[in-house]
Amino acid sequence: MLIELKNVNKTYNNGQPLHVLKGINLGIDKGEFVSIMGASGSGKSTLLNILGILDNYDMGEYYIDGRLIKGLTERQAADYRNHMIGFIFQSFNLIGFKTAVENVELPLFYQGVPRAKRHQMAMEYLDRLGLADWAKHYPNEMSGGQKQRVAIARALITNPKIILADEPTGALDSKTSEEVMQLLGKLNREEGVTIIVVTHESGVANCTDKIVHIKDGIIGQIEDNREHRASVFGTSTIMK
Amino acid sequence: MRDVLTEIWESIRRNKLRTCLTGFAVSWGIFMLIVLLGAGNGLMNAFMRGGEDIATNTMQVGGGRTSKPYDGLKEGRRIWLDERDVQLTGSEVFADHIDQVISSVSTNATVSYGKKHFSGSIEGNFPARQEMDKIEILYGRFLNDKDIKDSRKVVVLPEDRAETLLGNEIRDSGARFPGVAPSVRSGKEVNVQDLLGRYVRIGDFSYRVVGIAKTNQATNSNTVYAPYTTIRTIYGKGQEIDDITFTFHGLDSEAENEAFEAQFRATMNTRHRAAPDDRRALWIWNRFTQNLQMNRGRNLLSTALWVIGLLTLLGGIVGVSNIMLITVKERTHEFGIRKAIGASPWGIMKLILAESVTITAFFGYVGMLLGMLACMVLDKTVGQSSVSIMDEQIAMFVNPTVGLDVALEATLVLIIAGSLAGLFPARKASRVRPIEALRAE
Repeated sequence: MLIELKNVNKTYNNGQPLHVLKGINLGIDKGEFVSIMGASGSGKSTLLNILGILDNYDMGEYYIDGRLIKGLTERQAADYRNHMIGFIFQSFNLIGFKTAVENVELPLFYQGVPRAKRHQMAMEYLDRLGLADWAKHYPNEMSGGQKQRVAIARALITNPKIILADEPTGALDSKTSEEVMQLLGKLNREEGVTIIVVTHESGVANCTDKIVHIKDGIIGQIEDNREHRASVFGTSTIMK
Repeated sequence: MRDVLTEIWESIRRNKLRTCLTGFAVSWGIFMLIVLLGAGNGLMNAFMRGGEDIATNTMQVGGGRTSKPYDGLKEGRRIWLDERDVQLTGSEVFADHIDQVISSVSTNATVSYGKKHFSGSIEGNFPARQEMDKIEILYGRFLNDKDIKDSRKVVVLPEDRAETLLGNEIRDSGARFPGVAPSVRSGKEVNVQDLLGRYVRIGDFSYRVVGIAKTNQATNSNTVYAPYTTIRTIYGKGQEIDDITFTFHGLDSEAENEAFEAQFRATMNTRHRAAPDDRRALWIWNRFTQNLQMNRGRNLLSTALWVIGLLTLLGGIVGVSNIMLITVKERTHEFGIRKAIGASPWGIMKLILAESVTITAFFGYVGMLLGMLACMVLDKTVGQSSVSIMDEQIAMFVNPTVGLDVALEATLVLIIAGSLAGLFPARKASRVRPIEALRAE
């Protein structure tokens, strides 16, 4: 098991205590292409934050590659995020005053990779995603799809154990969404990258091999979707 | 390092106006600090200039008036020093500390040369006086042993008195205004040098001028020196003398000096039948302790100027801190992204601290350079002028500049100030939680 969650609980204590995750048990193997699906307020974002070591949890255990992720200092958490996790966000989250290639380089900068080396690596990744010509451009000069591909290059460059994608198509039109999902699928199939996509769109979820439904803080059904036949209105789920 | 600099440059480039405005406050602070210290130095240099001309290991002793009754005598009695005091001072009793002892007698007389004349004090003195008071001879020589031995009628005139005798009036109209060259001499110029070998009349006798001394405001500037023996004989001074001056050694601290003075006073007072602890029976002018006190005053002034300068700088620092806070607020989202992809809290903190130090140091240096430039301008204008007080030319500023040490200290101050200014904003930035920052779209 690459990822293992055992009875993970999370309560937010902002005024009224809000029990968001009520005992999550989940295992994801290396090389899987999984989507976590749920309506807003289902706890899927919280789960993603915990998976990405951006947030801590109150109870239970979370292992990445057999390593317990709990009670980390900020420094350790930053280090783990840097080495083990690649993030893809709905709003791309590229740094606006840096060029595409500089954005892709950034994770390597925090690993202490020398400038020439990381530049060369970043160019390679951009090239693989067909963006070599756009390396010197700033994010505001690129289309949504291009920006998301830059973000994917940035997520891939550290060769992480997991790619976490939070609504990766949320800000894209349907055609670009299709392309991005196909790109993720290709990365998963051809390079064996483990990808977890959080979404509320069934169409997006359908592109993945396994769909984890989350509802009211508990894991509901886990669908095997290797046939990619999950209907737009999946069985026993409420879809938008 | 280059990466951090690139990051700083990118950040500053996006906020040029804001950075420059705040930087101006820092520049101004350092500018004021440097100008204040420079002006303070100028003032102290002018004040100390006389002091530097005097050997610091001398004491001068003169007769005073008793302030308490002792040995059956009432207070208020004049004490006159005489030759036996000189002998006692130079005797075995004080041999541990006292090296050379000389005495002087003086009288008031009119000195004339042709139709010109002046009245002033004529001091009978010894050749060693030149060394002790650092009397600078412009032309000719000072008194020598042969003058003393033969009681020659020779004099050493101060420069300005010599000018008076030659009728070279010193016009002081220009000197009252700074920036105008002082001492513009009028009329037909006769060189003071020409007085050498001529005879001037003092009282009923003629004296040959053997030397012209530089006028010095700090010491007895207008004194006419003649051989001790000559003055004593002509004016019938007998055993009586005006003061004793001696050089000493082995007294390095203020406490040691005070102890020595007390011992010396007790011995001398006893000889004159005055209470041993009567501080008014004799006056003792210790140039060493005076020098110490002047140094202390200088340090005090310098400290006060630093405090004022640093307080001015504080305004600039608060400004830098303020824009760094705004920067952090604006860049919260970016810091969230950086943290999500692996920046440690220190990695973020470093960015803000470095930016703060860079802004402070850069604008601080601009201010420092301008301040030094202003000091130079001050030196070239006010520093070259003097004011005339009671017929004496007194420079108000002498070399009003700061040294390399101050520049280095100011650099240190800037780096510390920049770090302090960036500290709170940097801590705030390092505490940005990535989830909150990423949510803030």
